[in-house]
Amino acid sequence: MQKAFGKKSIILLFIFPAFLVYTLFVIVSIIWAGYYSFFDWSGVGEKVFIGLQNYAELLIKDEVFRLTVWHTVIYTVINVLIQVFGGLLFAILLSRVTKGRTILQTLYYVPVVISSVAICQIFSKLLSVTPTGVVNQLLSVFNPALKVMEWTSNPNISLYVTAFVEGYKYLGLYMVIFYAALIGVPDELGEAARIDGASLFQEYWSVRIPYIKPVIIANCLLVLNGSLRSFEFSYLLTHGGPGNASELMTTYMYKQAFTSMKYGYGSAVAIMIVIICLIVGVIFKKLTGEEAEG
Amino acid sequence: MKKKMFAVLLAAVVSVSAVLTGCGQSSDSTGAAGENASDAQGNSDASAQSTGERTKITALLKGTESTEQFQVFDYLLSNFCEERGLEYEIELVNDMQDYFTKLQMYINSNTLPDIYGCPNGTLSRACLDIDAMVDVGAELERNGYYDKMNGAIIDFLTDADDGNLYLFPQGLYCEYFMYRTDIFEQAGVTEAPTTWAEFEEACEKIAATGEIPVIVGGSDAWQLMRYLSFSPWRVTGSDFITDYQAGTDSFSENESAEYAVELLNRLGTEGYFEPGFASVDFTSACNLFFGGTGAIFYTGSGQIGLAEDMYDEGMLGFFPVPDTEGMDNMSTNVPIHAGFAEGFNKATYDDTMQDFFDYMCENFSESCYTKAQIFSPFNEELPEGLPQLYYDTQPMFATAETAWTSWDDKLDSDVLTKIVDEQQKLAQGITTPDEFIDTCDSLISK
Repeated sequence: MQKAFGKKSIILLFIFPAFLVYTLFVIVSIIWAGYYSFFDWSGVGEKVFIGLQNYAELLIKDEVFRLTVWHTVIYTVINVLIQVFGGLLFAILLSRVTKGRTILQTLYYVPVVISSVAICQIFSKLLSVTPTGVVNQLLSVFNPALKVMEWTSNPNISLYVTAFVEGYKYLGLYMVIFYAALIGVPDELGEAARIDGASLFQEYWSVRIPYIKPVIIANCLLVLNGSLRSFEFSYLLTHGGPGNASELMTTYMYKQAFTSMKYGYGSAVAIMIVIICLIVGVIFKKLTGEEAEG
Repeated sequence: MKKKMFAVLLAAVVSVSAVLTGCGQSSDSTGAAGENASDAQGNSDASAQSTGERTKITALLKGTESTEQFQVFDYLLSNFCEERGLEYEIELVNDMQDYFTKLQMYINSNTLPDIYGCPNGTLSRACLDIDAMVDVGAELERNGYYDKMNGAIIDFLTDADDGNLYLFPQGLYCEYFMYRTDIFEQAGVTEAPTTWAEFEEACEKIAATGEIPVIVGGSDAWQLMRYLSFSPWRVTGSDFITDYQAGTDSFSENESAEYAVELLNRLGTEGYFEPGFASVDFTSACNLFFGGTGAIFYTGSGQIGLAEDMYDEGMLGFFPVPDTEGMDNMSTNVPIHAGFAEGFNKATYDDTMQDFFDYMCENFSESCYTKAQIFSPFNEELPEGLPQLYYDTQPMFATAETAWTSWDDKLDSDVLTKIVDEQQKLAQGITTPDEFIDTCDSLISK
């Protein structure tokens, strides 16, 4: 049996279905998007070949696209902070709790299983201004002016609010992964550190967290990837607004293709997203790979 | 050898997937599609086989089972199909964007159903390009219903290019402002405003009493866009927006358009709209106003069901779109439109579908009033037993000949999307009227 699994043909047989599905739904889609990006096409009617004109406009003239790239970077940083570092913090705290750990773990995980649409609906009600939502009602106890505090319709903070909501939803997921990694750290290591006189902070900072570094890197990559492609929270909570204040690359792509009916231009935006994701992925891999080697 | 085999396998996979994808993508034929109606007939699953008897009528409609278009067509199709021993199938897509995507897919593959919801504009033009639209005007002439249809509705749906009528109205919708009589009285506003200056004066008085003057669903593009469109519509009809799109007029050159820009900015920044209006959608705005918040709300006949009780208790009044002072306003002051209209697929329009069309015309009014609670597009006497608001608002549009000019239909999708983003910034005071005008005027010159 073990011998059979060692054969390349058998390995290929197992890999083939996933490879086929991946090719069909990812690679082919990207190729088609690339093809459409060379056309001026409204989605209906004749396609007009315009070569690289969509890309030229996107990279040279389109200020909104540049803005969405910057927004996506901010959005990604916030999500990495909340999901990875917040998740790690919660996992550490959870690993220190002895009573009611399962209940807390379940409670933190609940948002992960709730659909994004429901989460956005909950937050739009919580953060509502008219009628006054729970958040503003509570804040108005401290300062009455905060009763009309705008969260999703304030252009200065709508992007951060949207990023926070996505971070909130997935924090529990990464917390569980970190928690599983933390309880896998051999107790002997912690005990040895404590015998050597390390404080609790030092024990985690110098022993336990370095031990789970591969998990942290993997989670960072997952969050990075998810945030760069994030769509639903910005679209459902703010529609990318007000104006373009919380517009991300993905919502911009959707608006261009389906609202503005510029399928060719929208496809060019999609290809740029793929390229940016690849560049960020390669840079991150290079940085973390070099660090691991060092 | 193994490397070669792997390469061959990889090539095969890519080829197979490309072929499979190609099968699902018939959009390549779009350019030439539609020239051959029999192709469409062959492709369509509308059951209008040229060789056999029709067994089914298919429809694609926007909305849910509780929306007017479904209720009207479900009623008509179920009765008609029961009489004829046919089946019917209504495909519903609720989200507007998803609906447009679906419709585009059907147009591209030339497989439109027998009946499909379609707004008058880019998409109806695309349907016409593939010869998939029955001349509804000619059909109405044939069965004698053309003269019975409201003039403004015909005006609203008439094709801008050839002047024909290819779409059948969803219903007759009229829009007006509703106001709370008790709040007006408390604020000392004795008469409903007839000009925008009076409107703003009323807002100021209402705000001084601590009430919210105007409720608006600012996250739904059309709600804020109405305030941008009112003044140009009353002063120029459809001329401003048509000329703007054509590049022969602009916000900076048109007095009424400039007035509207400043009006929207003032209403938003003076605090006359509810706090956080930019994140309130139309449904929430309806809930707010008919739940007792705010003094004025721009609504219409589609919300009679919600307004009925408060109106009967004397808590609500209504007034039409105010005049723009200092300019010549046209006499029609109630926006009238046909909602999301329906097209009939020419490729599958056989004798049965023609019979259904006649049956639909005969029973449309009954279906509108009993099932969907909307006005019928045919000028007929209102049946008894309807909420009082129907009888009181009907005289406002009974003889109207000029339709509402919907900017959504007139503007290019890309320009429309950008104006939608800009109008929200204008109403929130993020941009000034001058910046708004500069930006919007540059959209066309680009």
